[in-house]
Amino acid sequence: MAILELKKVQKTFGTGRTKVEAMKETDFEAEKGELIAVIGPSGSGKSTFLTIAGGLQTPTDGEVMINGTALADLKEKKRAALRLKEVGFVLQASNLIPYLNVGQQMQLLDKVKKGNLQKEEAKELYQSLGIDHLIRNFPKDLSGGEKQRVAIAKALYTNPSIILADEPTASLDSDRAFEVMNMLKEITKEKQTATIVVTHDTRLIDDCDKVYKITDGKMELQERVYDTL
Amino acid sequence: MKPKGSEFMFLAWNEIRNNKLRFTLVIGVLVLISYLVFFLSGLANGLEQLNREAVDKWEADGIILTEESDLRLQQSILSKDDFDGSGVDEYTELSQLSAIASNGDKKENVYIFAVDPSSFIMPDVTEGNAFVDEGEVIADDTLKEDGFEIGDELSLSSTDETLEIVGFTDKARFNAAPVLFTDQDTLETLQYGEFAEEDSDAINAFIIRTDNLNNVEADKTLQVIDTETFIENLPGYTEQNLTLTLMIYFLFIISAVVLAIFLYVLTIQKISIFGVMKAQGISSGYLAGSVVAQTFLLSLAGVMIGLFLAVITGLFLPAAVPVAFNYIEMLIYGIILIVVSVIGALISVQTIVRIDPLKAIGG
Ligand SMILES: Nc1ncnc2c1ncn2[C@@H]1O[C@H](COP(=O)(O)OP(=O)(O)O)[C@@H](O)[C@H]1O
Ligand SMILES: [Mg+2]
Repeated sequence: MAILELKKVQKTFGTGRTKVEAMKETDFEAEKGELIAVIGPSGSGKSTFLTIAGGLQTPTDGEVMINGTALADLKEKKRAALRLKEVGFVLQASNLIPYLNVGQQMQLLDKVKKGNLQKEEAKELYQSLGIDHLIRNFPKDLSGGEKQRVAIAKALYTNPSIILADEPTASLDSDRAFEVMNMLKEITKEKQTATIVVTHDTRLIDDCDKVYKITDGKMELQERVYDTL
Repeated sequence: MKPKGSEFMFLAWNEIRNNKLRFTLVIGVLVLISYLVFFLSGLANGLEQLNREAVDKWEADGIILTEESDLRLQQSILSKDDFDGSGVDEYTELSQLSAIASNGDKKENVYIFAVDPSSFIMPDVTEGNAFVDEGEVIADDTLKEDGFEIGDELSLSSTDETLEIVGFTDKARFNAAPVLFTDQDTLETLQYGEFAEEDSDAINAFIIRTDNLNNVEADKTLQVIDTETFIENLPGYTEQNLTLTLMIYFLFIISAVVLAIFLYVLTIQKISIFGVMKAQGISSGYLAGSVVAQTFLLSLAGVMIGLFLAVITGLFLPAAVPVAFNYIEMLIYGIILIVVSVIGALISVQTIVRIDPLKAIGG
């Protein structure tokens, strides 16, 4: 069974002349262990798709199911709890809390949720992300790449079954961007998460299991083209 | 998982630690407000004692005055025979006179109370001796601080007669003036000079002890009132108390409003941070709990420092400033300050609940 499922999901903003169809009727499924890329130009509806998939906004029409639970049936509080349990967001803008050091960012998650990574597992994660020496640093003392890697660690710390990453490589140079993509791939296979990465950088999608392209809110599965030079 | 209080402290405390200047300002404002509250409460207390000390010392339940007296001691003129003690456990007569007393050096507004030395309103002597012979008085010991001493000859504004201080007692001020205690004969001589009758029986009031004031049987021309009512009707007493109490209550409101504004501004600044946390699934309840926990920490710190400063100030104040700290009352006021501060934080809780994580992360 798909861990994440969108059925006939559609999203419109505004009415009349200002009406925007940010998402046209879309069916979508993600399985555990799948790394999926969603590409498309700016304004095509990538973030809209991702936030609807993660339960941060409700579709105008259609249904979103996470692990078999229809989000529309849940009250905001329950939806937040489901997000905390199942979804790890890696956001484009830094999602770090300025007054907590890296270690404390994770500690906060222990305050609000059980079943997060054990000490040893967390250590491994920090090592694989190359941030184990930064545990006592505050966000202001981290570089853009370090912040992004901490953000990934934060998303993974709760053992989510779904990882939703909105342009996680936007603030990184290309070496770092490839590194982060590789890391996401490794994690996807190792932890059997369904990982969806939104990006407008088509160079980063080679290792993905599936690639979707969005144009003007219309989402289409891309046939793989292996003849990249 | 329901977070406990200590879990809320995690965000609250770490934020304070990493934004010392910002939160020092908040605590500073709270220190000033609580300092003012404690100081005013001390002042209210001090002024209260200044007015009622001598009456509290009686440990009496009630007082009998004439119906016409309008509850003023000096306006109540009655006779020893007007009350026979029916319905009370104990009673005694009180006569009083207000005067300006001078030891040649210093002048002081005083009340002279004539009391029966064997009665329960006879004060304990803390220094020197009780009055025995005509013209001898026990004085309230605040007069000592003004330079009056045992053996001082006191001349009075209204008569040529003089008095001699033979002893001191403590806590004996009435209506903002120290009291001199003496016997009925001495007081009559002061009042009527050589024309004083032997064994005159004019007095101002009966002071009574009883379990139930309703059982007291007194003549219709008299009124029996409880001690508290008597004190509340002392000139200026209620007005003064009300003014200070009102100021304290206003300060409670002010501290709630000031803190509410501060926290609201801080919360507005943190909307995107809260939004990010909410996007991850951290509940509004946890974030609100953290803000409340933070307010609690801030107000606790502010109130403790304010309390400390008030007590320190109290130690260095000249005796003339009527500040008397009632620690239980200060504790209660401190708790009220903390509670109203936390209530002030609830506006921010509203804001947090309404934060849309989507807007905050700006997808
Ligand atoms: N809250 C909103 N209100 C109105 N229009 C919106 C809102 N969010 C997104 N849109 C519109 O929907 C379209 C898709 O936006 P978005 O999903 O952010 O695109 P992308 O992430 O691919 O750049 C855009 O035209 C955008 O202006
Ligand atoms: Mg976007």
